[in-house]
Amino acid sequence: MERRNFLKISALTGVAATLDACHAPDKQLIRFVQEEDLVPGIATIKPSICTLCSAGCGLEVRVMQGDAEVIRNGQTGIIKMGLAKKLEGNPRSPVNQGKLCARGQAGLQVLYHPDRITHPIQRTGARGSGEFQQISWDDAIKEVSSHLSGLQTSKSMSGLSFLARPLRGQRRELIGKFLKAFGAPPAVWYEPFDEAVLRQANLLSFGHAALPTLNLGRADYVLSFGADFLGTWNSPVSQSIGYGAMRQGRAGRRAKFVQVESRMSQTGANADEWIACKPGTEGALALGIAHVILREKLAPNSAASRAGAQIAGWAAGLPKYTPQVVEKQTGISAAVITRLAHEIARSGAATAFAGGAPLAQTNGLFNALAVNALESLVDAGRETGSNSGPILSFAPDVPTSIAAKLETSQASLASLTALAKATPQMLLLYDANPIYFAPAATKIREAIAKIPYVVSFGSFIDETSAQADLILPEHAPLEQWLDGQPESGSTQAYISVAPPAVAPLHNTRPMTDVLLGLAHQLGGDFAKALPWTSFDAMLKAAYTALRTQDASMKTKTDDEFWTAVQKDGGWVGASPTAQARSAAATSKSASISASGIQSEPEFAGAAADFPFYFQPYVSQSLGDGSTANLPWMQELPDVLTTAMWSSWVEINQKTAAKLGIQQGDLVEIQSTQGSLRVPAVLSPGIAPDLIAMPTGQGHEDFGRFASKRGANPLAILALVTEGKTGSLAWAATRVKITRVGGPEQAKLVLFSGGLSGFPHEEESR
Amino acid sequence: MSHKWGLAVDLDRCTGCEACVVACRAENNIPTAGEDQAARGRTIQWIRVERTWEGDFPNPKVRFQPVLCQQCDAAPCEPVCPTYASYHTEEGLNGQVYNRCIGTRFCANACPYTVRSFNFFNPAWEKPLNLQLNPDVSVRSVGIMEKCTFCVQRIKSAEILAESEKRELKDGEFTTACAQSCASKALVFGDLNDPNSEVTRMATSNRATKLLGELGTKPNVTYLERGTWQDATNS
Amino acid sequence: MQRTAEQIEKDLLRPIFATSSRYKIAVALATCMVLAGVCALGYQLWEGIGVWGINSPVFWAFDITNFVFWIGISHAGTLISAILRLCNAAWRRPVTRCAEAITVFSILIGACVPLFHVGRPWLDFWMIPYPSERGIWPNFRSPLAWDFFAISTYFTGSVTFLYLPTIPDFATVRDNAKGLRKKIYGLLALGWQGTPRQWQRLEIAMHIMAIAIVPVAVSVHTIVSWDFSMTLVPMWHSTIFGPYFVIGAIFSGIAALILTMALLRKFLHLEEYLRPLHFNNLGKLLLTTSLLWFYFTFAERLTTWYGNSPSEMDVFWSSIRANFAPAFWTMVVCNFVIPVPILSVKKFRTITGTAIASSTIIIGMWLERFLIIVPALDHKFLHFSWGSYRPTWVEDTLMASSFGMMALLYLLFSKAVPMISIWELKVGLQPHGGGVITTAPTIRKPRGLVLEGPLPTDVPE
Repeated sequence: MERRNFLKISALTGVAATLDACHAPDKQLIRFVQEEDLVPGIATIKPSICTLCSAGCGLEVRVMQGDAEVIRNGQTGIIKMGLAKKLEGNPRSPVNQGKLCARGQAGLQVLYHPDRITHPIQRTGARGSGEFQQISWDDAIKEVSSHLSGLQTSKSMSGLSFLARPLRGQRRELIGKFLKAFGAPPAVWYEPFDEAVLRQANLLSFGHAALPTLNLGRADYVLSFGADFLGTWNSPVSQSIGYGAMRQGRAGRRAKFVQVESRMSQTGANADEWIACKPGTEGALALGIAHVILREKLAPNSAASRAGAQIAGWAAGLPKYTPQVVEKQTGISAAVITRLAHEIARSGAATAFAGGAPLAQTNGLFNALAVNALESLVDAGRETGSNSGPILSFAPDVPTSIAAKLETSQASLASLTALAKATPQMLLLYDANPIYFAPAATKIREAIAKIPYVVSFGSFIDETSAQADLILPEHAPLEQWLDGQPESGSTQAYISVAPPAVAPLHNTRPMTDVLLGLAHQLGGDFAKALPWTSFDAMLKAAYTALRTQDASMKTKTDDEFWTAVQKDGGWVGASPTAQARSAAATSKSASISASGIQSEPEFAGAAADFPFYFQPYVSQSLGDGSTANLPWMQELPDVLTTAMWSSWVEINQKTAAKLGIQQGDLVEIQSTQGSLRVPAVLSPGIAPDLIAMPTGQGHEDFGRFASKRGANPLAILALVTEGKTGSLAWAATRVKITRVGGPEQAKLVLFSGGLSGFPHEEESR
Repeated sequence: MSHKWGLAVDLDRCTGCEACVVACRAENNIPTAGEDQAARGRTIQWIRVERTWEGDFPNPKVRFQPVLCQQCDAAPCEPVCPTYASYHTEEGLNGQVYNRCIGTRFCANACPYTVRSFNFFNPAWEKPLNLQLNPDVSVRSVGIMEKCTFCVQRIKSAEILAESEKRELKDGEFTTACAQSCASKALVFGDLNDPNSEVTRMATSNRATKLLGELGTKPNVTYLERGTWQDATNS
Repeated sequence: MQRTAEQIEKDLLRPIFATSSRYKIAVALATCMVLAGVCALGYQLWEGIGVWGINSPVFWAFDITNFVFWIGISHAGTLISAILRLCNAAWRRPVTRCAEAITVFSILIGACVPLFHVGRPWLDFWMIPYPSERGIWPNFRSPLAWDFFAISTYFTGSVTFLYLPTIPDFATVRDNAKGLRKKIYGLLALGWQGTPRQWQRLEIAMHIMAIAIVPVAVSVHTIVSWDFSMTLVPMWHSTIFGPYFVIGAIFSGIAALILTMALLRKFLHLEEYLRPLHFNNLGKLLLTTSLLWFYFTFAERLTTWYGNSPSEMDVFWSSIRANFAPAFWTMVVCNFVIPVPILSVKKFRTITGTAIASSTIIIGMWLERFLIIVPALDHKFLHFSWGSYRPTWVEDTLMASSFGMMALLYLLFSKAVPMISIWELKVGLQPHGGGVITTAPTIRKPRGLVLEGPLPTDVPE
């Protein structure tokens, strides 16, 4: 071959090869048309709502343009879209006032999680086999509506069940209306750490079946019984803001904070005084303190007229709760009880409240009522309106047009066990994973297996959605219209609403729009009950009704009002006066009797066989387990133990020494319901006869970051309940503990203390 | 007016919630190490909350202290870097030039606070988690040291904006990611050269201390000591 | 019985011209070890330095231990050759080249370690002070930059110091060789003819080098020690590190030399040349340095303990009685408890005795480097950041391979160059007062220059 030809041919083939690589159809990603207008490099801030816990904090989402690889109409391509880069608190939300907690920051990872289900899938294999196949939305909707029609035809509409995590706001309204129009029973709202006991106690003591709002920024003395109010309880961000203010926010005034609990929580670690009380006797301690106050007339008896009336013997000065008697019950010395009484009564502005383990006992309601009575006694300004109102009050009601009517708190557990027994024909799941979040003893897993048709609206495969027949994946929270009605955390009336911050990444649809679509298809009663075709239309209608009742926003038209509300992320009522706040603190409606309430705690498992109290506690990073699939949360060291990517139990150091357990050893925890194997962490901040374990791990099935990791303490809880509310007494299970292996088997990962397996004795404390 | 950036940490307000840790991670494209690497001590935390136990049950006491790069004026990490990757900026920051770092890790050893982190492997984000990455912050590759920069990208953005509007920066106009998220307002960022700024007020408080101040590193992070303990005597 | 010049030549040139099967096996084994290291290194460069066991806060461990260890071993040659040359100690003659070879190769290996322990080795060239287009120079304040200059100077100096006295021997080989070998050695010999003028130049050059190399060697290891003591890390920030490291280096260097000599003696049949006398004298030097090492260690530990500074005591106790106690006490036993009795008693100061002592010292000195680095990094000021360290197979392989590399280089060297300086031995045959040696026509001793003293006659052969 001639050289010239050779070069020509080589050049051609070379170029062709290069071109081929550039434009080979299977290698090139299509560029889709941009769906929105964004300036590259410039961030837009959009409001949203955090849905990772029930506090309902407002968000600001930093959105910037970027390239995302997406699938549209079955084709993979690249699209320029707004991407959420960072979450901050929304400064206009009265709950979190521009601040955000650790879990809230991780909300971004829900949106961009690699395990998100990206399109509707239908089960092809056996239930739980994990075999699903993609189907189109049209087919999926057809499936669901055909099943719903089937129920209608066979007149078994009551066979439809809807199981969800408790909601407030228009989403709750929507679900409620849908079920009512269908003729199905009301939704089952389940979460493991529901606060049914506290709501019931607040209803009895103060006339409000709601979680309290704590204005800690005004306090001089805070006595908390078991409430992890800076970490996971109630409205942690709002409470943390108040905490900072009460410590160093006022010149010359620094509040004292006393925490009563058996296991040092993140909150308790900040206390000036930490008091370990025998589990279940916190109410007795509160009454012991109240006794001293009443006896020494440090506060007027009338100050706690309503809350005190719930306690037998209050009017007589609580003769059964002298410090000496209480000392025997609680293990706390009479001198300390007396001193606390003096301190709290003499403080300018004091408050006492309870949450967490003390309420999760068989006598939880009693404990809550006792603490509420003490709170009434010491939180000056409750009845009289002085000092700008009490520290503990209740969020003002929002106008009823928009407020979802709250049923009196039926405990979640009762509803769930009822569901398990009822065996419905069809189950709709929304943000619910009862197989993980409920104790195995509820037998919910077996119940779900018997339900003929299960549909999940979830974004992720989890223990329960793995059993579904059809999954209709939801938009991530940042991708959809959200609304909320925080139960606490704000002294002003507040409801939140937010449009989507970013366009949907995957082929998903929000549950709200799907339900409205189904309603539209089913016609009839639905047309009247749910006339909207999309959720934002429903929201707009609700807000428009609100506008007529409140002139504070000074807008001329409904549209203006709607736009303003969206921009702010919600609607905030006028700042309450001191009187209004005091009035909000205790409703004057007739009191209900609290007779027949158990005052002594009972535990599952005989003390001889199961020598330790078992206290599961909500994890700072994983919550109750719902954020376990977020890698940022798995890698966040628990602030007290520094453990990451792990489960563990906390054991008192001396107890561990007696049992021959060393830091990082593998131990077996056994209750009457089952056993778990987890590493042990030695701690000085826990009572010698108590073992504590964080919730969150132990998922069988929850994506690549959370599956098959650690153990779930909820699984081995006995179904002990609080008598009046039927609420799960999750702190009332007893266990025994045995060492079954060394650090190599346990594989505890600690941030501080080096490699697991090489524990440092310095860090074992 | 030339700026000197500083941070104040009020230990009486810090609750140990670690919101700052996650906020920093999100803002600065910090990779997740994963369980295996975390077990090997390879997690990267530009800010960490240190927890110290004192005493025993029934009177255990805990101290929380967020520790981050102290941006020392006499930084021990600066002279030892052979390639000048660690240097002092005009605004008082200890700058880390990612491009220039060859990864001798001398700076990490020299730092008494152990606040420097190293990329032992090339970081990876499983799609689509990479969509969250902040375009204002470089992603570091294997062999590079990194640490808290006082969110220098936010500083620069704010400075550019102020300059374009021909005005001075206002105290509180912008802040670092950690301080922005801190619910109890324990973290306060600002200009130490501004006598009226919040951070200056805190840095000159009578509770002000410096971490390992006796070493002479002249840190620009000031810690305000906790208020008085009330000793519990459960007797 | 004294050897003649011809016999000397024949014995010492034999390894160059004859290859035993034992040699081939040894080279094969060493090559395997080196290849294992190359594979491990390749894996490390590909995956990232995370394949090691280093972490936060222990950012340096095996890597810098090996670096300091090998640079330390290099001090053998310097001491023996230069100082003994300057002191006119005649017994050094058969020993000098072995020692200088150890120096060169261990610096080479030692210098490779920092090149590859960095996170981005392809950018190592930024340590070289060249006028870059970025306008940035290396940071001359950094001890690592000092390391760069010190080690490159030392390496250059040591190579020169090794090469110069080998020229006459290259000439001898050239004269005895044929063909390609003759050409190569001819090049290496630089046209040496053994003229008086050449001898004069050689002697002056050696003298200058001997004087110059001593401060270079002392400064090199001092600078290496300043990688640690220039920081504030507890128990690194110690003024004693400079002399401590130099003594430790000499100590480990002599031990390495003794071991090498013992092996050479056995495998190259140099029994007549490397005699108990040499081991005895080196043994005495080893004893001295062992005592000095113990003195420095004791002084450092005593002052730390007495001062009782909390951050230093954390590191102190971690070595004495906590995690690192086994390593620490092994080190003391290896460096002091075993060697001192052996080396103090003349009866035990034999070839075998000194070889045993040297072996334990090599282990002990490696442990010493490790124990300087890791416990301190493990236990810095903030307790919360304490960590721990465990090496991975990559670090183990690289370390083993460094020994393999040393063995390989040494084996190849012994094939190419007479391990004992032929001309110096021949010179040593002369009775006191000088005179011209008449052997092969290549070596002539010029009049008037006294090179060395006579062979001592009061030492048993």
